[in-house]
Amino acid sequence: MTTLLRETLTHSSIYMPTPARIVEVEQFTEVEKWFHLELPSGFTIDHKPGQFVEVSILGIGEAPISICSSPARSNGSFELCVRRVGKLTDALHRLDVGSMIAVRGPFGHGFPIDRFHGKDIIFIAGGLGLAPLRSLITEVLDERGKYGRVALLYGARTPNDFLFPADLAAWADRDDVECHVTVDRPSEGWDGPVGVITTLLPKVKFPARNTVVAIVGPPVMYRFVLDELLAAGIAEGNIWLSFERQMKCGVGKCGHCQMHHIYTCQQGPVLSYAEVKNLEEALS
Amino acid sequence: MKILPKHSLKAWVDRLRATHRVVAPRETYGQYIFEEIENADDLVLDYHTSVLPPKKYLLPPREDLFAFNAKTMEMSPLIEEIQPTVIMALHTCDLHAITLLDKIQGTGHTDQHYQARRRKTTLVSIECLKPCMDHAFCKSMGTLAVPEGFDVHLTDLGDRYAVEIGSEQGEQLIEGLSLFWEPVEADYDRVNQVMAGKWPNFDYRLDCDVTDLPDLLAANQDSALWDEVGDTCLACGQCTKVCPTCYCFDVLDEIDLKLEHGKRIRVWDSCLIEKFAVVAGGHNFRSSQARRLRHRFLRKGKYQYESYGLLGCVGCGRCALSCPAHITPIGLLNTLAERRRPATEEASSQS
Amino acid sequence: MKPKVAFFEFTSCEGCQLTVLDTLQRHPELLEVIEIVQFREAMTERSDDYQIAFIEGSCTRPSDEAKIREIRTQAQIVIAVGACAHLGGINAIRNRMPLDDVREYVYGDKKDWFETYPARPLSAVIKVDAVIPGCPIDRDEFAMAVTHLLQGRMPAIPDYPLCIECKLTENVCMFLRGQTCLGPITRAGCDAICPSCGQGCEGCRGLVPSPNLGSIKDALRERGMTEEQIDARLSLFLTYQTMQMDGVTPA
Repeated sequence: MTTLLRETLTHSSIYMPTPARIVEVEQFTEVEKWFHLELPSGFTIDHKPGQFVEVSILGIGEAPISICSSPARSNGSFELCVRRVGKLTDALHRLDVGSMIAVRGPFGHGFPIDRFHGKDIIFIAGGLGLAPLRSLITEVLDERGKYGRVALLYGARTPNDFLFPADLAAWADRDDVECHVTVDRPSEGWDGPVGVITTLLPKVKFPARNTVVAIVGPPVMYRFVLDELLAAGIAEGNIWLSFERQMKCGVGKCGHCQMHHIYTCQQGPVLSYAEVKNLEEALS
Repeated sequence: MKILPKHSLKAWVDRLRATHRVVAPRETYGQYIFEEIENADDLVLDYHTSVLPPKKYLLPPREDLFAFNAKTMEMSPLIEEIQPTVIMALHTCDLHAITLLDKIQGTGHTDQHYQARRRKTTLVSIECLKPCMDHAFCKSMGTLAVPEGFDVHLTDLGDRYAVEIGSEQGEQLIEGLSLFWEPVEADYDRVNQVMAGKWPNFDYRLDCDVTDLPDLLAANQDSALWDEVGDTCLACGQCTKVCPTCYCFDVLDEIDLKLEHGKRIRVWDSCLIEKFAVVAGGHNFRSSQARRLRHRFLRKGKYQYESYGLLGCVGCGRCALSCPAHITPIGLLNTLAERRRPATEEASSQS
Repeated sequence: MKPKVAFFEFTSCEGCQLTVLDTLQRHPELLEVIEIVQFREAMTERSDDYQIAFIEGSCTRPSDEAKIREIRTQAQIVIAVGACAHLGGINAIRNRMPLDDVREYVYGDKKDWFETYPARPLSAVIKVDAVIPGCPIDRDEFAMAVTHLLQGRMPAIPDYPLCIECKLTENVCMFLRGQTCLGPITRAGCDAICPSCGQGCEGCRGLVPSPNLGSIKDALRERGMTEEQIDARLSLFLTYQTMQMDGVTPA
């Protein structure tokens, strides 16, 4: 199997993607769509949870998108959950099964999963943040025995905005995963919790020591969640966050994703709170 | 070392032009731009700085990355057959800048486009014997001497050039040419004399030692000066375009009206532009001009030093010359140093 | 199916539509990908069945508004073409003067015969989906705009300053040549055609999103321009935008 990166090829280009075919789609919400993509035969995505790919539509452009599928289940294919929010994602949403796109990657550092072994894990997802976390959650649950207690806290704007409904139902059914969801605004028929994601934190009664937390969500969520976690005594080095930035290259060259000295596309997108706590541009 | 009599310079350039594209500074509107020379007579070695630095031959302002057919999904890398190129008359500041770019482009994921151009490019630098313009501060930045890894370096000895060869690629430019002479004792004396005589012509313009720069910037991240200077900054981005060490880029697709044949290209970008750090959805992670300006200075004076062991500023002064609002690194850094001074003195008197 | 396209003009010199005609000569394949159903300057046939409307010119009299709204109702996409439609154009210079004086200056004792009001860009009257800026528009940019529309997206027009492009073409800065220029506050996209020909930028593509007007005025002052000259320079194409920044929008 060949990986997608072309850096060792002198006469190729690290910026040239590999074609991929859309083999399955599901419209999760009005603006979020799930894509199952297949690589040409012989290619593998070979990613780690938390890594991203640069997704191309030739003639439109390229954008960084986190992989939402489990590495163990990739086998020449992978999945993306995409919010329609710019020129590339607009165009991507208009594509259907059978369409060809192109991808480069995977890039960056994902979640350091070997450091999670034996520990209690809290996954905290806000909105689209569930997409990269799903890759990690699936990986953890596939090898459930390696970890302590596992909890998922997931907040969406409304009950209509939940992503991965089938996965959510399956996780909620398991008795070895604590699953808590909340919405900012309820709709009719919703009898679950209403409120921001931090209101779910008291429901998880893990000891602060040896608990690792993986957080992905919108920038505004990070500050509030971090305050609570730090107050609860979670170690700074045990809190892992994924950072969304503009990334034109994915390979530490174009400069767009820099947060102070950190190239988010290379050293990130997943970084520990200990690494970013003094970086104004990371948590502003 | 070899000796090239000045009257043989043109003959040498003619020989080079037979096998290479030779580019050199050419005067226009009182400034200089690097351009291919059509005639060895056009060669100018004595010039002040150029509008764009010679990096444009290694990282072109607009560069094709690959061609594609959007219908068939065929793609071909456009690592074109690059013409062997000799860049003449680089100042040592620009040579230092290329040393940094070599490191950056060769670290982590290798940029094959840069590498391909770099392999085909030979650099002929020239020793600066007097400041090229008021804005230059190369002596303060430690870039007034030729760095390791140069190809061919010339020093003007009056009626002849001392020619140092620093690489195999450089060696190939003079190999077997009878234009070059072996030096005699007097040539070595003359080189020493010229070199010793040049240093007093340059001033240290930075009010702190260059090695203090990363600390100076680190200590002043919250300085009010960023807001003050940010207010005057036009955000025109010229400073980043003319900078010999800036390499940020944007990526664009071009496609024909039939939506079939196209190219992906990259274009020099600028971190001083408002949208540079905006993500899809609209959040701007560097939302004020003060922060963007600070990012540029910290990147040059701190981050790149930490990542690559070399400062991102070589003191060429191009940004200072080109800024319509007269924001200059010397002005800004010296103000930071000056404002810090009382506090530092206080601290040292307490200890 | 090829999208049906119509061209319209209001107060303007029609030079942008001439540029469109020129673009059709340079890119004849345009006619293979769009169907032009109305273009007064170029053809006799005229249909009101169109999806994309390109409108040149500013709105300078109340009676134009109804026609502009009608186009908006019919078209799925409305594109403002050129500085007049985009910015009010040079027609808006008069917005800083008493309207009655202007009428008298232009029409003399017949001033009451003619309807007029302060010039305004299309966006002051209707929702505009995209603009192709410039005086006149750039041929290649028009072709690119059509390409983007065919791709199902709005034309991507640069919003960074002209200085960026000017430096990419390695022009010697107009300020360093002792001249004046609005490049630092003006949108790029014209490939710095004026500075490349030795003329400072006049701002025809409009202001960048956050122009530093205080600083550009300082730069112009320093090059010997009087306050009056600076105001004049900023009003050729930028009257409507600068008045808007001062909180003034014409009634």
